[in-house]
Amino acid sequence: MSVIEVSNLKKFYKVHQKESGLSGSLKSLFKRKYYDVKAVDGVSFDIGEGELVGFIGPNGAGKTTTLKVLSGLLYPTSGHVSVLGYTPWERKPAFQKQFSLVMGQKNQLWWDLPAMESFLLNKEIYEVPQIQFQKTLDELVELLEVKDFLKVQVRKLSLGQRMKMELIAALIHSPKILFLDEPTIGLDVVMQKKMREFIREYNTRHQATILLTSHYMDDVKQLCNRVIIIDKGKLLFDGALDEIIKKFADHKLISLVFADGVSREKLARLGEIKEYDPPKAVIQVRRADTSAVAAKILQEFSIEDLNIEEPQIEDIIREVFTGKDVA
Amino acid sequence: MKKYFTIFTLSWQDELTYRLNFVLWRVRNILRLLLTYFLWSGVFLVNSKIAGYSSSQMLTYVFLVLVVQSLVLSAPSGDSMGGEIGSGDLSNYLVKPLNYLKYWFTRDIASKCLNLGFAAGEITLLWLWLRPPVSLPANFPALMGFLALLICGIFIYFFFEASARFIAFWTPEYTWGLAFLTLVFIETLSGMIFPLDLLPAGLKTILDFTPFPYLIYYPISVYVGRITGPAIFVIITKAVIWVFILSRLSRFIWLRGLKVYGAEGR
Repeated sequence: MSVIEVSNLKKFYKVHQKESGLSGSLKSLFKRKYYDVKAVDGVSFDIGEGELVGFIGPNGAGKTTTLKVLSGLLYPTSGHVSVLGYTPWERKPAFQKQFSLVMGQKNQLWWDLPAMESFLLNKEIYEVPQIQFQKTLDELVELLEVKDFLKVQVRKLSLGQRMKMELIAALIHSPKILFLDEPTIGLDVVMQKKMREFIREYNTRHQATILLTSHYMDDVKQLCNRVIIIDKGKLLFDGALDEIIKKFADHKLISLVFADGVSREKLARLGEIKEYDPPKAVIQVRRADTSAVAAKILQEFSIEDLNIEEPQIEDIIREVFTGKDVA
Repeated sequence: MKKYFTIFTLSWQDELTYRLNFVLWRVRNILRLLLTYFLWSGVFLVNSKIAGYSSSQMLTYVFLVLVVQSLVLSAPSGDSMGGEIGSGDLSNYLVKPLNYLKYWFTRDIASKCLNLGFAAGEITLLWLWLRPPVSLPANFPALMGFLALLICGIFIYFFFEASARFIAFWTPEYTWGLAFLTLVFIETLSGMIFPLDLLPAGLKTILDFTPFPYLIYYPISVYVGRITGPAIFVIITKAVIWVFILSRLSRFIWLRGLKVYGAEGR
C-alpha cells in the first residue's frame, strides 16, 4: 500500500540570464533571455508506509524540488502525484495535518519567544488534543534532551539546540509522513549522529514514512535501506544501498601493507594502482579476478597485511554523477 | 478558531519582549502628534479659519489622527509579508493548515489593540497638558459612523497593503522602494498629515475615487460633524465597497502569485 505515488513528475522553471556588470543589469530591464531549467524531468517512484528513503544527488539534481512538490509548495509542470491519497498542491487541511516538512535552515519558530510558545501555536494550528500534545512533547523533549531549554528565547539557543526545537515543532502533531531536507547540514559530528539516531528511532516507534535528502553519505548509509539517486532531474537508481555497489561497481579494492621489497611495475601488472605509498598500496581489480589476484600477490610479494574492500559508496556515486560508465 | 487566539496572544508577547523598542515607538508617535499640534497652533495664531476649519476643529483633527492612525495604519503585516515571500519563509505557512491572510490580519489586530491601549493613555495625558479645544462626537450617529468607518479603514488598509506586498511573488528581489512609495501615498493621501479639504477641489475629487481618504480623513470628518445625516451612510457604503474590491484584489493576486511561487531560499 503506497502512501506516496509519483508518476512522471516534471517541473520546469523559466529562468532569465543576466549578463554580468552594470550594462547587463540595464540590458535586462528591456530584453530578457529566458531559458528552461528542467529541475525535475520525468521522475516516478512509489513509497510504502513506514519506509525510510534517502534521496541523493548532487546540487541542482532536483531532490529539493521533488520534496517541495510532494509537500504542496510547488505546482508541477506535469505528472501525477498522490500523497496519502491527496493531491499535495491542493493544500487540503486534512492532508496538511498528516505530514511535516523540515528544511535545514528554514526556521518556523518565533525568534524572540521561547520555543515552547511556538509548540503551543502549532498545537492549535494542527488541532492536537491537550493530552496527546503533552505526551508527544514529553517524548520528544526526552529523546532530544532539551528539557532545560524550553523556556529560553529561541534566538539565544545554539544552532544544534535550535534545530532540535525546530524538529519538535515539526513533529508535535505526530505526522505520518516526514519530509526532511538536509537534516544534518551545518551540524557538528556529535549532533549529526544524534540527529540520525533520532530519525531512526522516530521511524521505528511511529512507523512514520520518512523521505530525506542529503549530501552526506553517512546520513544515507546509516539510515536508509532504500536509496533514490537523482541527477539533472532524472531518476538514476531506486533500490537498496548495497545494490548500488553491485550495479554500478564492477571492481573491488585490495589494500596492502608490504613487509619488504616492492616493485611498482610488478604490482601494476596485477591491477590498476590507486594509491602507492610504500609500504602501503591500494590496487583496483575486476570483481571476477579478485581472489586470483589476491592469491598471486601473496605468492609473489612479502605481505604483512592484505584487505579486500568494496569501493566506497561515495566514489561510486561520484562516478555515477559524472557520467562515467562504471557498469 | 482557537489558533487565531493563540496567534493574538503570541503577538502581544512578541511586541512586548523588547521594552526599549516599544517605548521608543510610543515616544515617536507622541512626538509626531505634538509636532503637528504645535504647527497648526502656530498657523492658527495668524489665521482664524483655514479652508473652513476653525482652530478648535483643526486641533481636534490632529488629536484624532493619533487615535485613528494607531488603529488603522499600524500593521506589522505590511513589513513582513513581502519579505517572507521573497525569502521563502512563506513556505513554512503554506505547508500548514493556516490561512496566511487571516494569520497576518490577526497579528495586525493584536498590534492595534496594544496600540490603542497605550494611545488612550497618551491621549489622556496630552489632553490634560495641552487642554486642546477638542470636542466629543457631534451626536450618536456621528459616533456610530466613526466606528463603522474605522472598521472599514482597518480592512481597507490591510487588503491594500497585502495587494501591494504580494507583488513580491514576481519580484522577489523586493525593493523597499515600493514599500516607501505606498507609505508616502498613504500618509499624504489619507489625510494623516493634513485634512484633505486643504487640497484644491479638483485634486480632492480625484482622491475620492481612491481608497485612501477612507483611512483617516473620512472617519474623522464624520466624528467632528463635517459630514452629517444621510451623507454618513453614503460614505460608509463607499468604504464597504472599497473593502470588497480590495479584498477580492488581494485574493486574486495571492492565488496567481502562488502559482509562480518558487519556494526559493534554503
